[in-house]
Amino acid sequence: MVSESLERKPPFYQRMGIRIHLFMCKFCSRYRKQLLLIKEVLTRYNESDFPKDVFEPLPEKAREKMKHVLNHPEEEDSTH
Amino acid sequence: MKMEMDSDSGNGILATLDAPRHRHKDRKDGKPAATIDSDSWVDRYGDYLYAFALSRLVDRNAAEDVVQEAFVSALHSMKNFRRDSSEKTWLTSILKHKIQDHFRRKQREEKQQAFETVEDDIQQFFDEKGHWKDGPARWKTNPRMLFEQKDFMRVLYGCMEELSKRVAKTFVLREIEGLATEEICKVLDISATNCWVMLYRARILLRQCLEVNWFEGSPDGVG
Repeated sequence: MVSESLERKPPFYQRMGIRIHLFMCKFCSRYRKQLLLIKEVLTRYNESDFPKDVFEPLPEKAREKMKHVLNHPEEEDSTH
Repeated sequence: MKMEMDSDSGNGILATLDAPRHRHKDRKDGKPAATIDSDSWVDRYGDYLYAFALSRLVDRNAAEDVVQEAFVSALHSMKNFRRDSSEKTWLTSILKHKIQDHFRRKQREEKQQAFETVEDDIQQFFDEKGHWKDGPARWKTNPRMLFEQKDFMRVLYGCMEELSKRVAKTFVLREIEGLATEEICKVLDISATNCWVMLYRARILLRQCLEVNWFEGSPDGVG
């Protein structure tokens, strides 16, 4: 329900129910905070000029293939 | 795993005259256009564009496909390239369009599930009454610092790779692309309930994966 409440605003009675539950249930409260944290981190990372070397470099095989395709545009590429 | 990035020139010159391969595109005004060294494109921007694609698509094959599509498309639309932006910026914007196209493309998937359900791997977190069995631990962290830590981002994307393609796609569309749930349903051609279940799966599994692979391991990670 916490996950769903991040999607759409639940009816009033349900919101109150969730709020009371979150107040009393430390696990659900943590869960919600942590989901928001994940979202915030991903958003910031993807909005900023993020350090791309988090990811592996373009594999050599793919690199060569792309060069070939670009140098031979007359060949119909049928990768899909 | 560490890779050395070529430093980007920033301004992005189109080509060097003594580059080994050339392709000439004549401009409409009859003047010869600058030459394009497509090999150099791949060498200079391939890693960056691939990383960008991975950050949205997570899947390696998909990322390779869209990068190649972007290069090909760029080659065909060289005449549209205005030098008010850098090559890198221009190529990235083409890539972004290809990524959007990819999201909207109907995927041929190995296991076409009609809908995702709350499977056993999720049920394990809760007891019969639906309460947390082994609940979330307290994460001692400063959220503002995390996205700058490469190791953390590697772990996070590693966890995202563990999700099924459809679940990962739903999650990315929601949390990175910022689409509303209704739009996601349209793009993926699924029901709202199905969409919700996939987001739920993504969140609960990702959270668990991060706790195990990052927060539990770090010195002041878990309280």
